[in-house]
Amino acid sequence: MTTTASRPASTIFRRPRSTEGFWSWITTTDHKKIGIMYGYAAFFFFIIGGIEALLLRIQLAGPNGSFLNAGEYNAMFTTHGVTMIFLFVMPVSAAFFNYLLPLMIGARDVAFPRMNALSWWIFIFGGLFLYSVIFFGDPTPPAGIADSSGAIVAGNLDPTDATLLAGLPDGGWFLYQPNAGPAYSPGTAVDFALIGLQILGIASLISAINFIVTVFNMRAEGMRLLRMPVFVWMTLVVAFLLLFSLPIIAVALFMATFDRQFGTLFFQATGGGDPVLWQHMFWLFGHPEVYILILPAMGIVSEVLPTNSRKPLFGYAAIVFAGAAIAFLGFGVWAHHMFSSGIPAVAQAAFGLSTMTIAVPTGIKIFNWMGTMWGGRLRFNTAMMFSIGFVAMFVIGGLSGVTHSIVPSDWQQTDTYYIVAHFHYVLFGGAIFGLFSGIYYWFPKITGRMLNEKLGKVHFWVQFIGFNLTFAPMHWLGLQGMVRRTWRYAPETGLGPWNLAVTIGAFTIATGVAIFWFNWIYSKRKGEPSGLDPWDARTIEWTIPNPTPAYNFATPPVIHSLDDFWHQKYTEDEEGRPVRKDDADDLVARLDHDGRNPKSPIHMPAPSYFPILMALGLPLIGYGIIYHTTLVGLALLFIGPLITIGALIGWGIEPLEEPEEHQEHGEGGELVGAGAH
Amino acid sequence: MADTFEIEEGAEVPEHAEVHDSHHLVHESTGIDNRKLGMWVFLSSEFLFFGAFISNYLLYGGRDFDSVVPRDIYDIPFTSISSFVLLMSSLTMVLAHHALSTGDQNGTKTWLMATALLGSVFLGGQVFEFTEFIVEYDMTLTSNPAASAFYMLTGFHGTHVALGIVMLLSLFGIARREGGLSEKHGMNLELVGLYWHFVDIIWIVIFTLVYLIGAA
Amino acid sequence: MSDTAHATSHPSTKDYVRIAIFLAVLTAIEVALFYLNEAVGMEGWDAPLLIGLSTIKFVVVVGWFMHLRFEDSFLARFFGAGFVLAMALYGIVLAVFGAIVLFGGG
Repeated sequence: MTTTASRPASTIFRRPRSTEGFWSWITTTDHKKIGIMYGYAAFFFFIIGGIEALLLRIQLAGPNGSFLNAGEYNAMFTTHGVTMIFLFVMPVSAAFFNYLLPLMIGARDVAFPRMNALSWWIFIFGGLFLYSVIFFGDPTPPAGIADSSGAIVAGNLDPTDATLLAGLPDGGWFLYQPNAGPAYSPGTAVDFALIGLQILGIASLISAINFIVTVFNMRAEGMRLLRMPVFVWMTLVVAFLLLFSLPIIAVALFMATFDRQFGTLFFQATGGGDPVLWQHMFWLFGHPEVYILILPAMGIVSEVLPTNSRKPLFGYAAIVFAGAAIAFLGFGVWAHHMFSSGIPAVAQAAFGLSTMTIAVPTGIKIFNWMGTMWGGRLRFNTAMMFSIGFVAMFVIGGLSGVTHSIVPSDWQQTDTYYIVAHFHYVLFGGAIFGLFSGIYYWFPKITGRMLNEKLGKVHFWVQFIGFNLTFAPMHWLGLQGMVRRTWRYAPETGLGPWNLAVTIGAFTIATGVAIFWFNWIYSKRKGEPSGLDPWDARTIEWTIPNPTPAYNFATPPVIHSLDDFWHQKYTEDEEGRPVRKDDADDLVARLDHDGRNPKSPIHMPAPSYFPILMALGLPLIGYGIIYHTTLVGLALLFIGPLITIGALIGWGIEPLEEPEEHQEHGEGGELVGAGAH
Repeated sequence: MADTFEIEEGAEVPEHAEVHDSHHLVHESTGIDNRKLGMWVFLSSEFLFFGAFISNYLLYGGRDFDSVVPRDIYDIPFTSISSFVLLMSSLTMVLAHHALSTGDQNGTKTWLMATALLGSVFLGGQVFEFTEFIVEYDMTLTSNPAASAFYMLTGFHGTHVALGIVMLLSLFGIARREGGLSEKHGMNLELVGLYWHFVDIIWIVIFTLVYLIGAA
Repeated sequence: MSDTAHATSHPSTKDYVRIAIFLAVLTAIEVALFYLNEAVGMEGWDAPLLIGLSTIKFVVVVGWFMHLRFEDSFLARFFGAGFVLAMALYGIVLAVFGAIVLFGGG
């Protein structure tokens, strides 16, 4: 497909031209800039989610805590979960996908550059929409419980408990119905969560389509599917998981929103609805979601470990297959979140078994990572330490996960801190450690400088110790019967000392993150210059200069094998050990020079105003739905779609690239092969 | 399952090893247009979207409630006709595409407009049906979960049809203004066509499962 | 577009009209079956028959009107994946609710 129609440029706005400064970021369609914005936004939300966690831990540090009231506590654990999952781990993964995917497959950009910008803007507006509840929300305290006739009796909460914090969404990240329905969660907090998640889902769905097409269609010559780095494979698998799970939660969120806003009865037991339907729909999405969170980290670790073991990845194909198998099986285990909901015994047995099978591909991956390190000449830099930390912590979390597949055991563990311990071991000890590993590994790619290794190691150890101090005791707290989502415990339970330890651990983690932030700010300005190939890497994103030039590849790469860059630098001796070629250093120097000096002008997709405009309409529609009973709300229901559709029309008229005659001077370019949408 | 099949693909997908010049990446590794691949990928996720609404109806539609439920008041002859109309709009859509591929710009315009009109007739039928159910049988969105599920399913399908009509009319407008559809818009026509047929097959499923079987 | 032209055996206008007539006839049979069931009762045979007929309609629209028959099989696999996954997942959910009986006929 070639978009060569030479039509006049957009007549609605003057085409944005800046390549630096504020407007270049607002209008960019460059996957690298978009990735960087995702990263900063995610870390902004990471700090918010972290503060929420610390507030929870202060409340629970001792028995009968009085730091938060019950409403605030509910709001904090809900927003902590939503923030960390949807506004931190997913966007950080998206940051990696955006920045690295085109580089790793040898492309100049993703398949649909403007759609990529659209995803990012929808994401950030969705996140801000969700948190705007703090300005617009209605902090009505929970109303209490229904009596036998179904009428709501007054809750036992003091009206003075209706504080600012208590006005945040408070139904748990899973927003179980009818608890998060109109009767038990009055006010607007849950509506902000439902519609906010809907908006975030649209962003992820657009990204998923974009990444799938990119992986299949934008690969450099010779980059066969089974020559792609594992990280690219995991990106593809995650994109499929998003593609097929997001529509389900979209429908569930629509239904819950209709229940709350327009009086439908889907999940309202008093009107004949079935609350268990919500659980099915939520976990049909929710379980693939946990693989959406973990697989990117697995991809990162699969790049970092072999590079720093100076060996090829052990069992490349097995790791790829295992990743795909985890995703496939991940669609068939959702009801293990519902063993205590009264689903039939046959279903419980079937879902217990299917859950156990997940351990098989996961185990394959673990053994492959260990096989990669085995016999390698290991380099213990910070990225490597985080990756090893990932493998170790993920094994612990994985094993406690297997115990949940045993139904009677799961009944005992349901809603206790044992579960909290489990999923923090896989999502924090797993996903977040893996993501930090990736940040240390690819920081030079983004900035051209190294993160400080000394500070990095301090960061690792502080975070590693803090993490285990926080989440290991939760295992026994849970087994002793400490229940989740409960704001207080009595002194007689004897749970106090370990809870204090957990709180100390949480603050230790916060210290580690603060060290990381200092390292980031310091190294970005003063870090050691990295050169082209700081890690003696294997994959082709390291064959281009650091930081990455705007055009990525001065010459489109041609790929000859898996770990192409490694094979350019290394050969084998007769015992199969890698030996660096004599001319490897020359090669690196030449790549650095050539990468900075393209032989002919390279045209990239031009910036555009329309993605941000189009995204702007969605939160307005969201406010319109929440306030549809007011005049302002009705006006927004009109203005929101008008902006979105208007921007869509402008988008359709505007060519992706500026016509040929402008190319001599401007940055306008063409990326033929990229879709015009 | 979606995630396992691409692996074999590695061996099968021909590497269209085109020769690149140094400043373009004219490359679609699978040989399928980016936008077309994107549309098919999107449509495959739409199965999960409509599947959820349809299952929701299948769950609630057969239950008894104190108030009127959809299965008691379906107007099968009426819905059969509107289903027929939507089915025929798929014919006019494919004829629009066919006309463009043979270079018949006037035919393209005519068939595009015909498709949009048939789609509008279908939507009009839906509005009439909803009105009849609400006014005559007092079955509203909030009467009972079966009614809620019915309105949500058919309403979201109708929204898809409406969006399709907007896209068809946009294409018609472009064709009129520019005297025909360029190559770029030819692909747009194909994409709109895919979307339109997809909305039609979803209705084929709804008509059978929700109306014909649901009413029995 | 050049890449649609490679399919050599594209149907003609006449073929499309024939296909549409075929689809219309199937729809008519479906409606007839519905009334037949109302009138005499078909002892549960109406549902499988109706599902079968609508499956044919589905396949014909996808295969010919959406041109999937003439495309790279790659696209069919994508599309099929979404369809099969949706059927499987929602089938299991409805079975867990007891709303449908899996493997036990319609």
